[in-house]
Amino acid sequence: MTKKLSLYRIIRNRIRLWIDLFVLWITAKAFGWMLAIFLSFPYRSRMSHNNGIAGQGQMKIVGNPEFPEHPFYAAGKVFPVRVRHASATFLDDAMNCIRSISIKLSHNRFKSPFDIEMNSGQTSLFWSAASFLKFGSMRKEKWGVEYVEYNRLYPEGLKGAQQAVRRHATSFHNVHYYSKTPFLFVGKDGIKRYAKYRVKPFDDEPESGIDNNPSDWDMSNQRVLPHETRGRNFLKYEYEDRVKREGAKYRLQIQTRIAQDDDDPEVFNNMILWDEQIFPWQDLGVIEITEVLDWKESTRMGFSVNNMPKTLGVLPAKSIFDYNSLNYLRAHSEIARKARMWSYWFWGVPPEIPDNDNRNVSDWGK
Amino acid sequence: MSTEKNPQEICKECHEKTRIGYQYNDGFFGPKLRSINHLEVGRSKIISSPITITLEFLYLVYEKVRDFFVRIWHSLFPRRPKIWGEHKNTRIVGTLRYAHRNELDVPIHHLKIEFWARTWWLQWRKLSEAYSDYEGNFVLPFDLRTARSWKIKKVQAEVYQFTHTYYDGGLLKLHEERFKVLPIRKKDLIGMSYNLRTVRLFLWEYRTDTMVPRVVIKDHDKDAPQKYSQGRKDALIAQILPIELTKIKHLEQIKLAPETISLQDIQNDYPESLTVCIEKKLPGYTRSDEWFGLRMMNGMNRGYFEPDPTEPGMYWIKYFGVCNYPHNNEYALPTAEIKFRIKENGLPTPVEIHLTGPLNAIDKNPWQKHLFTPESGDKWLYAKRIARVNGGFSTEVDEHFCGTHLNTEQYAIAAYRNLRLNPLSELLLPHLKEVVLINHSADKMLLQEYIPSATALTYEGLQLRNKDVMGVLDWNGWKPMRVLSEAHTLARAENLFWNVVTEYVDWFFAEKEDGIKKYWKEIYRMSEDLVNNAVPVFLSDVNLDSLSPEEKHLAQNRLTYYCGQYGFEKNKNRQVRNGELKAVSPLTLSEEYNETDWNGLKQACSYMIMMATFMHTWINEHQYDDMGEVLYNCGGLRFSEKPEGVLQPESELSIAPDLTRSTQMLFFTNFLSRTEYGFITRNEEHDINPEFKKRLEVHRKAFSDLGVNIDNIESRTNI
Repeated sequence: MTKKLSLYRIIRNRIRLWIDLFVLWITAKAFGWMLAIFLSFPYRSRMSHNNGIAGQGQMKIVGNPEFPEHPFYAAGKVFPVRVRHASATFLDDAMNCIRSISIKLSHNRFKSPFDIEMNSGQTSLFWSAASFLKFGSMRKEKWGVEYVEYNRLYPEGLKGAQQAVRRHATSFHNVHYYSKTPFLFVGKDGIKRYAKYRVKPFDDEPESGIDNNPSDWDMSNQRVLPHETRGRNFLKYEYEDRVKREGAKYRLQIQTRIAQDDDDPEVFNNMILWDEQIFPWQDLGVIEITEVLDWKESTRMGFSVNNMPKTLGVLPAKSIFDYNSLNYLRAHSEIARKARMWSYWFWGVPPEIPDNDNRNVSDWGK
Repeated sequence: MSTEKNPQEICKECHEKTRIGYQYNDGFFGPKLRSINHLEVGRSKIISSPITITLEFLYLVYEKVRDFFVRIWHSLFPRRPKIWGEHKNTRIVGTLRYAHRNELDVPIHHLKIEFWARTWWLQWRKLSEAYSDYEGNFVLPFDLRTARSWKIKKVQAEVYQFTHTYYDGGLLKLHEERFKVLPIRKKDLIGMSYNLRTVRLFLWEYRTDTMVPRVVIKDHDKDAPQKYSQGRKDALIAQILPIELTKIKHLEQIKLAPETISLQDIQNDYPESLTVCIEKKLPGYTRSDEWFGLRMMNGMNRGYFEPDPTEPGMYWIKYFGVCNYPHNNEYALPTAEIKFRIKENGLPTPVEIHLTGPLNAIDKNPWQKHLFTPESGDKWLYAKRIARVNGGFSTEVDEHFCGTHLNTEQYAIAAYRNLRLNPLSELLLPHLKEVVLINHSADKMLLQEYIPSATALTYEGLQLRNKDVMGVLDWNGWKPMRVLSEAHTLARAENLFWNVVTEYVDWFFAEKEDGIKKYWKEIYRMSEDLVNNAVPVFLSDVNLDSLSPEEKHLAQNRLTYYCGQYGFEKNKNRQVRNGELKAVSPLTLSEEYNETDWNGLKQACSYMIMMATFMHTWINEHQYDDMGEVLYNCGGLRFSEKPEGVLQPESELSIAPDLTRSTQMLFFTNFLSRTEYGFITRNEEHDINPEFKKRLEVHRKAFSDLGVNIDNIESRTNI
């Protein structure tokens, strides 16, 4: 039912918006600084995805794009590319972890016209800045068990975890990765759209590591299985061997939809999928990785949602509960990446993950 | 012209004179009773010291002042029905299940859950409300912004228990009480869903320590699934105090100066009973064959007259004694089988009394048989007394406690556990309420304390007997008592009331057809609870071939008689659950509406109402008539040490109950006859459907002609 327009309502809503924006801004800034001061600098650590391996090669935009025309994604255009795969959050590939790919359309450690970060699973474990902060505050990790209370309280978070973790992944290459929260997409036609991205193996190799019957009770237990024979770095070794042997080839895809005035806020909800019948995935480009970077170079790399053209950037958020606030938070935590770089300069790059029997750990000290 | 009145007139006069019901008002310093739950077989918690009374008074004043301020507080911060918030973008989710260890996977359906916020200035704001579904799951959609607003101090989910319906200005209202508060940290609300997970409720749980379906009551004052209404408590306390004080006086006197009190004194201290009154005006009449037959037919016992298979016009009433139940050796309880002939005036007269079992403390052969006839001289009189006492015991334990109290409780538990949105809750719950409370009190006062000490059966024996009698109680196929003659007024009244109930239930089903069908699954679940928790059919779990010939004959004799007495059709197709053939037939076996179950359901509803109202009322209100004189009738006769045993005159007090049991018995029969609250036509709590009352009023005269005042028919079993 349409409410009556009144000056009071306009002023009230405007004040609410200002307050919400201020809370969002202060939260994002505080979060970034807290990460920088208490994690990135003293521990030389990323926020989560420390256990990774990077490679480089090139990406070619498809010759006949079916997605709306965009100057950045001109047909046949070729970009230098770096990707970094990682397992969050533990330093053990054999644990039940989320796997990720971060893509940078350049061969630099940081500077790039376009970065994008994706995780395994179609939906996420959190959906807004507020939920992400709650997620972080309820981690309470101990020997590979974490988020016990979070999983109990937030059923969508639990479901997201069940969808996203890949315990039995045989390779970083054959996992499907999703950007989840949508981004802006303003193409040549000037029409505002929203876009989601995903990456899958070029040859449609079946996805590995999916548990089809996950436990509601034991989802927080990410420990290596009893009698596990795979080592702490087996996924990284497999990727290194694969790239040396045959390279790693991916298909980057995009899903777009036109922005509408009356869009339900749930459009931006990374827990809700866009109907693929209505908004089909279109091929965007083909990534070919031909070279694996060493541990130091891989560790020195950084990715940011700020590394995007203005027409493909982060969607604005209105409050910490806004689904777009998740990318807003990412965009405002740049200080944490810088603090990590300073820590490398100050303390040196952290050592490679050894192939020892210190299993189920997530920090360098164990 | 003779000035002497005939016995009927005297009986009528005495009936009017001994009708129970007067107000107690003994001034400020008069003794007080805190509540019905404080009643004891011995000395109830009566407050009699002036200092304690004054302190009690001050405490009550404090409570009233406190309640006043609580009311003010609630009026300042009302809970309004408006639901705040525009965008229901977040949800509280969870599942309601029973907390009992045997029911951890059983969902609780259709309980109301509300989500409330409280502002810093203490105003309540309702954010959402919903009902749990059949799987116990609930979803409370709410506006996250509103819940997380800076104005909100705290938020909480609240589970409400449906308690009763009532009529306000002709409109049906549902009353729900807050059952559980589930606090939620406001800062944990972050969008999407917040999971309250499995909320386990101790709600109408079945006891696991009883042989018959009973509800768990942990503390009758604080932790019971129901509470007596205030009007019920007030009425009862006012009524009970005089006799409670009498009982206390007797107990003190017996303790301190037993030589100053006699059984006659005790009898005289209690209100005059029907038989005492008649005896004064017509000595010997209450011990006559005429009175014996009259009371067996139309008195408290409402005896079932089983036609003699060989002799037309002759009937049997059978009161089974200790049978093979655990018992003591102090009290006599032989099986009494009384042969009657129906006289020309339609009333029965006893012609033979067969007693099976010991009649003295010396010969303990349980199969010894004794036959008495009117030609047996004084022994005929003694035999009638033994049969009367056994009849009193059997009626109280079998017909009254099992047939109405326990029988109604099993339906009450199943109904309260399951009927919420189904209109049957409106039909049944007003009649099923409070029975579990009074049964809980009866457990301690009667079953555990009084009866085992004043009759032949032990507590264990009583429990086993209850289970067996419950094994012949079923709604399916039940019919009111067959009318033997015009003088069989009880049966005529019973049939008339049954007609009123069935017509009322037919009308209700027609009115509420859609709702009953829509929420059919509630009925299915009620039925499952009912059947799964029912006792096995009597003797269905006994291998008769393993019994001795006497035991087998007794068992079969009991089964045959009980089937007639309780309207039990043993050949009905009943359910086997957990290896037991269950006595109670299912209301339905279908989760969806099933046309074939419709008439059966109506029959079952009528049966529940019938048991909880007329059937209980009849026995209840006649208790003091038939058990209001110790020497005439009592719970049990003592063997005494003499070889004659119980075959002795009333003047032989060694076979009568001792003084303590006598005062306790008179206290109980008087107390239990004092309903005084909760009647259909008076409808004190506005919970009885006006249509039921209207239909009953139509037959006021007809009932009156049968000696039944419809204003005295209880709407529920609450005493």
